[in-house]
Amino acid sequence: MKFEALCQSGLGSSFMVQMNIQNLLNQENVKENIEVTHSDVGSATAADADYFFLDPTLETAAAGLPEDKVIILKSLVDANELKEKVNAILDKEGIAHD
Amino acid sequence: MALDLLTKKTVQVQDGNDLDWQTAIKTAAQPLVDNGTVGDDYVQAMIDVVEKQGPYINIGPEIALAHSRPRASVKRVGLSLLKTNSEVNLVTKDHPVKLWFVLAATDSNSHLGVIQQLSQVLMDSDRTKKLLAATSTDEILDVLKG
Repeated sequence: MKFEALCQSGLGSSFMVQMNIQNLLNQENVKENIEVTHSDVGSATAADADYFFLDPTLETAAAGLPEDKVIILKSLVDANELKEKVNAILDKEGIAHD
Repeated sequence: MALDLLTKKTVQVQDGNDLDWQTAIKTAAQPLVDNGTVGDDYVQAMIDVVEKQGPYINIGPEIALAHSRPRASVKRVGLSLLKTNSEVNLVTKDHPVKLWFVLAATDSNSHLGVIQQLSQVLMDSDRTKKLLAATSTDEILDVLKG
């Protein structure tokens, strides 16, 4: 399983989201090996990851990615929103977590 | 303090009533220009990228993280902050902002520690609330010391 956080430049906010996802997976005691990376939205292709995390301003730029793999985060610094959306994926994929 | 790049010199508080978003970014970045961290062209690049790509630097409610790609005039990693007491719209009124962070990076990795520390503060909703409510540089520095 691979998650990729995307932002416009691939420098700042995507790394922030990557880190927050990694922290969350640790908090949730996820044992399965989930790789989390970050990149810029322009170079991301559907084959790069199983799920992509991005903010609403990038929705158009990410139109080439399959809709069911794209998770839109309204805020990049809302711990509750992230938890809710990541846990929904874990449940959907049958990955155990707290 | 975790974010030791934010100091009395790099953190500012302004009313914000008379600012547009371009001026807010310029004002927020001015301490980094003054101390030689970035050149004026980096400041302009941060503004240009928003004009071209939209308000994607609006990373959370009332929070913007202005930045652009590393370039020659960026001499070292930099971070500064302008808090505006009133909201300034970033491009459109759907993106009101009060915390204007400016980040400068020299390559793709040098700034990751700063982002990590900044993220820890911003993911803590109590501290973010306090930053949004702060009306002085000292108050902001106190919250960051947390």
